[in-house]
Amino acid sequence: MSATLEYQAKDYKSELKPIWCPGCGDYSVVQGIYRALAAIGRPPHEIAFISGIGCSSRIPGYTTAYGFNTVHGRALPIAQGIKMANPDLLVLAAGGDGDGFSIGGGHLAHLVRRNMDITYIVMDNQIYGLTKGQLSPTSQKGRQTCTSRFGSLEEPVNPLLYMLAYGAHFVAQACPTDLAGMAAIIEEAIRFPGFAFVNIQSPCVTYGEEAQQMKGLKAIQESLKALGHDPADRLAAMDLAQQYGTKMHLGVFYRNPEPPATYEQLVRERQAEQMKNAAPRERILDLFIKK
Amino acid sequence: MSTQGIDFSRLSLKDALDLAVLIEEEAKERYEEFADQMEQHRTPEAAKFFRYMALNEAKHGEELAARRATLFGNQGSSVNRSMLFDIEAPDYDEARAFMSPRAAMQAALASETKAHGFFVAALPSIQNPEVKALFEELRDEEVEHQDLVKAELAKLPPDPAVSDEEFVDAPAPQ
Ligand SMILES: Cc1ncc(C[n+]2csc(CCOP(=O)(O)OP(=O)(O)O)c2C)c(N)n1
Ligand code: SF4
Ligand SMILES: [Mg+2]
Repeated sequence: MSATLEYQAKDYKSELKPIWCPGCGDYSVVQGIYRALAAIGRPPHEIAFISGIGCSSRIPGYTTAYGFNTVHGRALPIAQGIKMANPDLLVLAAGGDGDGFSIGGGHLAHLVRRNMDITYIVMDNQIYGLTKGQLSPTSQKGRQTCTSRFGSLEEPVNPLLYMLAYGAHFVAQACPTDLAGMAAIIEEAIRFPGFAFVNIQSPCVTYGEEAQQMKGLKAIQESLKALGHDPADRLAAMDLAQQYGTKMHLGVFYRNPEPPATYEQLVRERQAEQMKNAAPRERILDLFIKK
Repeated sequence: MSTQGIDFSRLSLKDALDLAVLIEEEAKERYEEFADQMEQHRTPEAAKFFRYMALNEAKHGEELAARRATLFGNQGSSVNRSMLFDIEAPDYDEARAFMSPRAAMQAALASETKAHGFFVAALPSIQNPEVKALFEELRDEEVEHQDLVKAELAKLPPDPAVSDEEFVDAPAPQ
């Protein structure tokens, strides 16, 4: 490794001081992002970082990238618009489990099938943190919160399995229990040519359950690499993903070894094709004149 | 706590000194962050202690940097911050809103103990005798740092019979 990286993690850290609760897992996540961006080495002004609403969605503000803390559940449509307007930007999207799998859940399938080169990082803490501890779509069945005094009656969603079933070409999971691994996974996701999804188990120390704090997560963590999992095997990935909620597998579940063209590439190809038969600009109005 | 891409068996004295400076720098920055977090959450006593720890780490880092400069001037380095993960820096998870000075000191003690463990674990792989001597020195200094924190802990008045925690409402829903 070279000692003089062109960019260092601190170049991506903004002056804004985080207001997350001390101990929140999101502090480590933003560090992982700084490190991944430094390893990639794109200057901050070439990065657009888009989020929804939630504690986790504050994250773009703590980086020196261009950022947009948008509307609850709408990080992905806005990230896609930005990527279409300027495909050369490195586009990151981030938010919470509520933002991504509840109010914004409908956007996931469409971004996956569109396959834009966007990296989506979800800080999954199984709770609505910002609004003070209501059930989120990843909360365990039976979970008691202020909106479920007698325990949740709903099964949680399984974001890993959802994304694999939607056909995502890169699906991974990370956790602050393994900082080096988390930074490496974020870097790999950003480098992946196409849509990449990283679910990060990021403990909420204020409203999260005991089992979902660092100690509890460490106890159920298992490295996919150590298990000998082949990330090119999508069915094996789906099999492992079923253990979401009981085991915490860290690493890449699935990476398509032959990533298909991205939406941006297809749009460029289509434009080039159409240009061949297009009327010259000065004759465009002729198309509307009846012969 | 981990490192990445460092081969301890081939570490030169110059790089070992740089590594030690980077470890102190990482710890200093983390203590400053913790102090900011405490100030943000109206916990001034813990903030004050974390600032004190940041100053100590900075001082130690400066001493090591001066040694490095005397021995090796401005020769390039083959280690950098991307190779370190929370060696002496307290883990983010150690901080809590409204932590007492005692809890803050215990968090610092845990990270000094962690740093000591780092040097102990690295020592058997080290081949270069000068680096070995430096790492032994740093390992022992971590014990001194622990003593420093323990001395601060000893200055604290005994905990009240009833803790503040018992008067704090559970987080309220909105
Ligand atoms: C349209 C809309 N509906 C509801 C809300 C209230 N709201 C803000 S954040 C949030 C959920 C936050 O949970 P999550 O996305 O998991 O993020 P966390 O705070 O846990 O990081 C909700 C329901 C809102 N801001 N806008
Ligand atoms: S409420 Fe939870 S998610 Fe929000 S900042 Fe605090 S610890 Fe983090
Ligand atoms: Mg959440």
